[in-house]
Amino acid sequence: MVNDPFRALAHPIRREIVERLASGPATVGEATGGFGVSKPAISKHLKVLEEEGVVVREVDGRTHRISLHAPALDGATEWIDRQRALWERIFDAVDQYLAEEKEKR
Amino acid sequence: MTEPTALRVQRTFNAPAWHVFDALVNPEVMRRWWHAGEDWETPHAEADPRPGGRFRVVMRRPDGEEHAGSGEYTVFDPPRRLAFSWSWDNERVLGQPSQVDITLTERDGVTEVVLPHEGLADAQAAEGHAEGWEVTLGNLARRRSERAHDTAAG
Repeated sequence: MVNDPFRALAHPIRREIVERLASGPATVGEATGGFGVSKPAISKHLKVLEEEGVVVREVDGRTHRISLHAPALDGATEWIDRQRALWERIFDAVDQYLAEEKEKR
Repeated sequence: MTEPTALRVQRTFNAPAWHVFDALVNPEVMRRWWHAGEDWETPHAEADPRPGGRFRVVMRRPDGEEHAGSGEYTVFDPPRRLAFSWSWDNERVLGQPSQVDITLTERDGVTEVVLPHEGLADAQAAEGHAEGWEVTLGNLARRRSERAHDTAAG
């Protein structure tokens, strides 16, 4: 199974967890507090993040610490950069074409 | 739950919406604009500009490497809205078509075009999801560089 960074980022709660962990490792409580959703729901989101390799869990006795494995998101960043370059380029060319058409008239 | 917008591109054109819409689906124009870079070529472009019509483009990098992709017009409502699926032939990241949904709004002969790009095929309309993947990844990159800076400074 290929790593799917987009699945990891497909939910706002998972994106918020990723952003919180960007500041450094945290306990599960710190990283997932205040969302106002049930514990099983949080566990499900963490499971997705772990499955996609975006979040790594370390168990120390009863404390579970999680941290971000940022390279797992590189594929998503590259995809977005590539698509953005394409759409910007298309808009440039449309703009140029419209200017040429205007001159013809 | 609605999927987030992967990225959003916006542009204002000094032309009526009809002209912009036509340029976006004109195969002749497509040959000029389906490039990921200024020095790329598009040796092949075809389009069937109607609802359900398909389009396909082959782009060639300066070093000769080709990148091809195709899609299908899912909404064809000139001159206000144009939506289509899009996938690169050798997609390694998504593994399924993504969705582009272009809205054109004309005011006094000037047309604003908004292009949200959804990463997943089953994604619905993007309303209310300004904070998409790009925002998250952008924030992430910023924090990483801030931390690197702090480490270097400390």
